[in-house]
Amino acid sequence: MNKAEADAIEQILAGNRDAYRVLMDRHFSAVHRIAFRITGNQADAEEAAQEAFLRAYNKLPGFRRDASFSTWITRIAMNTAINLVERRNRDLSQHGPRIADNPSAPDQTVQMADVYPGPERQLLDREAATLRAEALAALTPMERTAFTLRHMEDLPIAEIAAALNVPANSAKQAVFRAVGKLRRSLAPLAGGLQ
Amino acid sequence: MTHFSEEDLIAYQLHESSDEAAIKRHLDECSDCAAVSDSIAETLRVFSSEPVPPPDLDRNWQRLRGNLSVLTPAPRRARFPRFLLWPTAGLAAAALLLFAFVGIHITHNGDRIADLLPSLDRLNHTNTAINGHGPLTTEPTAAADPGMANHLDAAERLLTEVNHTSGPLDPADRAQARQLLLSNAVYTRTARDHGNLAQAAVLDDLGRVLTTLDNEPPSPHKTLQVRLEMNTSGLLLDIRILRQNDERQNENRQ
Repeated sequence: MNKAEADAIEQILAGNRDAYRVLMDRHFSAVHRIAFRITGNQADAEEAAQEAFLRAYNKLPGFRRDASFSTWITRIAMNTAINLVERRNRDLSQHGPRIADNPSAPDQTVQMADVYPGPERQLLDREAATLRAEALAALTPMERTAFTLRHMEDLPIAEIAAALNVPANSAKQAVFRAVGKLRRSLAPLAGGLQ
Repeated sequence: MTHFSEEDLIAYQLHESSDEAAIKRHLDECSDCAAVSDSIAETLRVFSSEPVPPPDLDRNWQRLRGNLSVLTPAPRRARFPRFLLWPTAGLAAAALLLFAFVGIHITHNGDRIADLLPSLDRLNHTNTAINGHGPLTTEPTAAADPGMANHLDAAERLLTEVNHTSGPLDPADRAQARQLLLSNAVYTRTARDHGNLAQAAVLDDLGRVLTTLDNEPPSPHKTLQVRLEMNTSGLLLDIRILRQNDERQNENRQ
């Protein structure tokens, strides 16, 4: 942890709440990015990132100064985002609208074919996006987290395992299971997703 | 030809395989495995990283700030080298076992002697080696106060409760500790006046623990220290012996 962060923590513990902005400016985007990978949408990612920062703030008096704030907040964010996904899965009313429920706006149907994608292309893209989202949503939170962090964020397995508090082999198996499930979810549409 | 499993091929595509060269050679020769491998590569491409919309830092900060309380630093824990924790705990446990063994052995021998020699007055046998205070005698003392039994009983119950609960003391326990502290001072003085130094020493120890409890240990960690102190010093055992002695004195009087 560098001096600016250490100083900020000292100030926070001395009663200066605004010093937390220093830590937020440095780490919120990265935390939000990981939360986005796990939750799959912007609103939940912001909620998870905010909750993670709030939890970290309240635990700050017990934070070991020789540890990395970045690693610590990332771990909290992963757990918070996974918990949020599990809550959402339990609460069926929170599932997002399907493509069929949300037709395209009329102005999007009149576009230059050589500049913008046409309506058919848009529809296919949106359907593809929906299918991808559904396939990812069908993974367990652990599989989804391990897969997105390994494949999309390119984090090493050891780091993912440490953040999830599982053995490295469990994290690796979760990634493999996730890829297998995703591959099977795309099999019926082979060639349909470009 | 031995084919590779889907898991092996996923590991290969993610560059997590320990035998990447062998898989690559196999894929050049085996069209079935190559098809599965291509399908995995396509899956990874479809689920490749999409851009993450940047968060609005100001808006998030404003929402977060409203929920932040003013913090104070946690009290620093007493420096106790971690590598000494288990050896110390082991020594303490061994000492407790030794005390228990010696206590049982002495009591057992005392009972056998009393059985074999009925004329021998059991009150003449002494409990020794308890907590380093010298013998806790079972000889009747001149000042056998019936209130003493109640005092020891209440102290034993309080300490047992403190010893078996976690976290800070509740107000009722603290109030009782304060009340016992006052009577304990009187009984300590009385024991000392009557020359019963072993009893006075145990009551003195009890007084120290009661003072600590009365002064509200500020954290669960401190309370834990008190509990450990009570365990390792054998204070509860001493109090039980004192109470038994007191009961015998009352029986002898009757």
